[in-house]
Amino acid sequence: MTFDVKIKKWHAVASWTWNAGDDVCGICRMPFDGCPPDGKYPGDDSPVVWGVCTHAFHLQCINRWLQSQAEQKCPFCRRQWEFKQAAVGGEDSD
Amino acid sequence: MIKLFSVKEKAKKDAAAANGKQQKTTAGELRVQKDISELDLPKNVSLRFPDGNDKIMNFEVTLKPDEGLYKGGAFLFSFAVPSGYPHDPPKVKCLTKVYHPNIDLEGNICLNILREDWKPVLTITAVIYGLNFLFLAPNADDPLNKEAAQMMQQSPAQFERLVAQSITRGCSIGGDYFPPCRGERSS
Repeated sequence: MTFDVKIKKWHAVASWTWNAGDDVCGICRMPFDGCPPDGKYPGDDSPVVWGVCTHAFHLQCINRWLQSQAEQKCPFCRRQWEFKQAAVGGEDSD
Repeated sequence: MIKLFSVKEKAKKDAAAANGKQQKTTAGELRVQKDISELDLPKNVSLRFPDGNDKIMNFEVTLKPDEGLYKGGAFLFSFAVPSGYPHDPPKVKCLTKVYHPNIDLEGNICLNILREDWKPVLTITAVIYGLNFLFLAPNADDPLNKEAAQMMQQSPAQFERLVAQSITRGCSIGGDYFPPCRGERSS
């Protein structure tokens, strides 16, 4: 015996999170999945970036800090700051 | 897919509405609010807002060292947090006149994390621990009060006596009078 199922309606649900290994940005202390103070929208509009030292910040937060500094160092560990390239397909957002 | 996009649009609207409500709070204030709500102070430190609890960018901290040379004294500090916080460090002054190698007679404080070593992941709590440390371990290598630093290096015993005397009873040292340190503003 078989059922003949006809789908009338479906409802897709998706969730996303930044895989930052921490909940909040160390600079603004706002959630990575939220916005930095100057950001309007979470997600793609408030990107999270990593340094080669593995520490993560909102892009806006770390940029503002690096721009104010002669030496480009990570605010956590003071190692030379270099942006880490995201692994392809690794740290996707949506 | 169409549903997904409409959900995202709604999220944008919600976020915009939330932003509108907080318009009066600047980024710096928001961060100070978080710092204050997560304060984790040692027992010998108290904090108050003399301008009212809604003026959180200016506050006073009283520190009573529980060990070391400065035990028995109480020291009042003013914190003025700039709007660029946490990218700019808070401005901290010692309002209680004190005989200390790293604090001058105007109350300026020589503490690395308040100047060259400031970084935006530091918090108000971290600064207060830094101040506490300054009273446990005065540092004669980086002086603001050169006479005190010299005394500390050349005659540690005499330095210790002068500190004890100045903070408990008050005394003159090298022509400057240091009133007893009772956590008040010396002017």
